[in-house]
Amino acid sequence: MDALQLVDSFQPPADERSATVGSLDEGTVDRGARDGTGGSDVRDLYRTAPEMRGERVSTGLPVGVVAPDLTLPDKDGEPVTLSQLRGRPVALVFYPLDWSPGCSVQLELYQQEHEEFAARGVQLLGISVDSIYSHGAWAAARGIEFPLLSDFQPRGAVARDYRVWREHDGFSERALYLLDSQGVIRWAHVSPHLHHLPDFDELVAALDLVAESATTRPQEVTT
Amino acid sequence: MTYLSYASPVRVAPVTAPQRGQSEYADGAARTLPIAVYGNRWCGLTQMIGRALSRAGLDYEYVDLDEHPSVEQRLQMLTGGRLRTPVVYVDGQWLVAPSIGQLRTALMRAGAA
Repeated sequence: MDALQLVDSFQPPADERSATVGSLDEGTVDRGARDGTGGSDVRDLYRTAPEMRGERVSTGLPVGVVAPDLTLPDKDGEPVTLSQLRGRPVALVFYPLDWSPGCSVQLELYQQEHEEFAARGVQLLGISVDSIYSHGAWAAARGIEFPLLSDFQPRGAVARDYRVWREHDGFSERALYLLDSQGVIRWAHVSPHLHHLPDFDELVAALDLVAESATTRPQEVTT
Repeated sequence: MTYLSYASPVRVAPVTAPQRGQSEYADGAARTLPIAVYGNRWCGLTQMIGRALSRAGLDYEYVDLDEHPSVEQRLQMLTGGRLRTPVVYVDGQWLVAPSIGQLRTALMRAGAA
């Protein structure tokens, strides 16, 4: 099979919606529909939502510094403090907004690949400016089980600390920091475009890095 | 949570385990399943589909649309300028930005069950 030649035979499905609805595990959707926490219609709004495009406006914190501490509420309103997670690596996933459109199904991808994080002892944390209520609805509708933190008030304060705030837009860059067990940033990625995700193979290699990293004397973050 | 599990609970055991890139069929035979993914490495849906196929032990041809703009132009033309990615080919079936469940269904239709 030659995929480059094969494309000439491509025929889009006649009823594309019925052929392409959804992006996640069907069981999650069915469960959401059954228990009233979200059906496939809500889950699929991202397919017709306005595009979110834009080049990055900041490059984030450098590798090698101690990640600023943070305390933010999760979808249940329970505060999560980064420094209390010392002793295990942490993946901080800053993303612009819940319900984002198109290809930007970053947290859904990480939920699908959650074992890659868990096997390395890495705690996943998603962070956006959305409210705890939006996080709760989105997590239920999209089957996201790891904590989503609300950087809601003061809006984007933590994103500013991590130098990934987009003042003009009122939300953060799409950025990912991997912290080692001592809270030191070992890998950082600020997407060049809002709708771009880091390559997952590169991310897995970085997960190995933080899982195995020895502690070194960290630098203090200055602002 | 199972994301791509299409193995039949009742099936004839193959003489030898299927190799990577081959699919085990109900009759115990194995053959290469033609699969192609046209997408972008930065695209979450493309990554989800690729990882799911790899997790299932299925090889596939990947065409990166950033590296093959002529292919993207062709797909754009064939979709009337409304291309959504990834486009996935599974043994005669074309899927546009499919869910994992729809990919699984396509694989089952192709006999990979």
